[in-house]
Amino acid sequence: MSENEERNDEEAYSPQSGLSRRQFVTGLGGIGLGAVLGGVVTGGLAQPASAVAIEGSEGYLVVDGHKCIGCDSCMMACSLTHHGDLSFSQSRIQITQNPFALYPDDLTVAQCRQCPFPACVEACPTGACHVDAAKGNVRTVDASKCIGCERCVNACPFTPSRAIWNGLEKHAEKCDLCADTPFWNEKGGAGGKQACITVCHMKAITLQKDVPVQAGDVGYNVNLRTKDGSAQLNLPTGDDGFYTPAEIAAAKAAAAAAAAAAVAKVGH
Amino acid sequence: MGRRLAIGAIAAVGFVLGMVYAWRIAFIDGTELLFDSGWWLMLLAPFLGVLAAGLTRRTNPVVEGDRVLRHDGPAILEHWTHGIGTLVLLVTGLALGAFFIPSLLSQRQVWAAMNVHFVAVVVFLFGTFYYGANTLLSRNRFREHLPTKNAFRFTVQHYGRLLGNKKYDMPPEQKYFESEKIAYLLALVSTAVVIITGFLKVAAHIFDVPGWIMGVATPTHDIAMVAMGLFFLAHVLFAAILPMGWPMLRSMFTGYVPLDYAKSEHAGWVKQIESDGDKPVPIKVPKRPAA
Repeated sequence: MSENEERNDEEAYSPQSGLSRRQFVTGLGGIGLGAVLGGVVTGGLAQPASAVAIEGSEGYLVVDGHKCIGCDSCMMACSLTHHGDLSFSQSRIQITQNPFALYPDDLTVAQCRQCPFPACVEACPTGACHVDAAKGNVRTVDASKCIGCERCVNACPFTPSRAIWNGLEKHAEKCDLCADTPFWNEKGGAGGKQACITVCHMKAITLQKDVPVQAGDVGYNVNLRTKDGSAQLNLPTGDDGFYTPAEIAAAKAAAAAAAAAAVAKVGH
Repeated sequence: MGRRLAIGAIAAVGFVLGMVYAWRIAFIDGTELLFDSGWWLMLLAPFLGVLAAGLTRRTNPVVEGDRVLRHDGPAILEHWTHGIGTLVLLVTGLALGAFFIPSLLSQRQVWAAMNVHFVAVVVFLFGTFYYGANTLLSRNRFREHLPTKNAFRFTVQHYGRLLGNKKYDMPPEQKYFESEKIAYLLALVSTAVVIITGFLKVAAHIFDVPGWIMGVATPTHDIAMVAMGLFFLAHVLFAAILPMGWPMLRSMFTGYVPLDYAKSEHAGWVKQIESDGDKPVPIKVPKRPAA
């Protein structure tokens, strides 16, 4: 086709629209450009700046490191209920053991803290790691959206990372308070049951509704020892964290004094 | 030529600066991903390309002395914006990980690579839609890219003759070899697929896209990436690395190929240009009916 014929083809107008193909293309580009720029300007000027608030989770796993015996039942239960497979690598709660440390520091329970400001959610570029409002605002990973960048794994401020990499299915995953357990016929999530809590025969894990203290570990490593059990060991009981050695010594002294007084009373 | 060089240099510098900026801001705390804050640029670029095509006048191939105009200015622009965009997209996309290949980057580098990917996406979209709109306006240019029914036979004969087999007898080559036309189809389909799936992935930064859509879009995007990568490697090999492609590579900057080269490699095309030039065709602009 010669240049002239080509120009005629482009400039030929349509009897229906009265527009030539070139006019249509130019108009389409111009209108689209204007619409996008107009939308950007309007959105930037007309809409006030807004802050995005992340809802807090409706449940938090808290543990008692004094009660944990390192049986790893929680890890087995976690991988079994989520994956139908017995694999510590696929457990979203981890028990770490330090053979050189003394009790109670020889065992550490690394549970997901459902952080009020989740670094993993902020780090995710695709929204795969997100706050699920339908499941009690639990911080969880939508595997279908995960692109495997592992930014969530790196973003978690704790060691070991609470967001883990599933090398078999090639996506990140994390504790979801058992909101999605295809291999367990129980209702999970913040308002339901958790496999690790159910299976722990030491009752070293529990779920609490209130946001734990975020500074340090005191909010997530708490005293879950019952009054009866602790009294037998002459240990003070309470739900507000650790006691100093001086407080324990004072409690023991008070318990000894009470026992002596009881003996003396019987003697009389 | 000087103006073209200046414009090209400015565009190249701008692109490099854009990539450097995109990489650096990823390491600043508190900054958003460009896919989150600049997604509107991905809508702007296609419309800008379409508008540019509407305002562009093409120049058909013509023999000028001892050289032939093969690629006019718009062709050069659409080639390099699409091509350089593709190169950077392939590199950053591969670095970000695909299928079973893990990400080659860590932590903030992932964010930085996504930002550079974004810059390349904008350039790529502009180039692709500029090309698409130009093709809509000049449909003959699209037709000459499509393989004919003799595509496979002529491809075998073309490369057979290249390897010294003289028994093959085929018509003189047109502007594009049949093998190039087949590769064009691959490039066309993979470009369309990568753009559609890419837009779906970006939509997930704005809306809550259902998981099953992302589960399909992401691996499809990866498959299209592999197809484009294969096409890219073959294209670079034949057009830039092998010496037989160097005249063509030069024409992608200057617009011209030597007449001798054109008569040797694309005799059918030269004959068509020369025969069209011999026929004066009067301009016929249809008159609009009176209102």
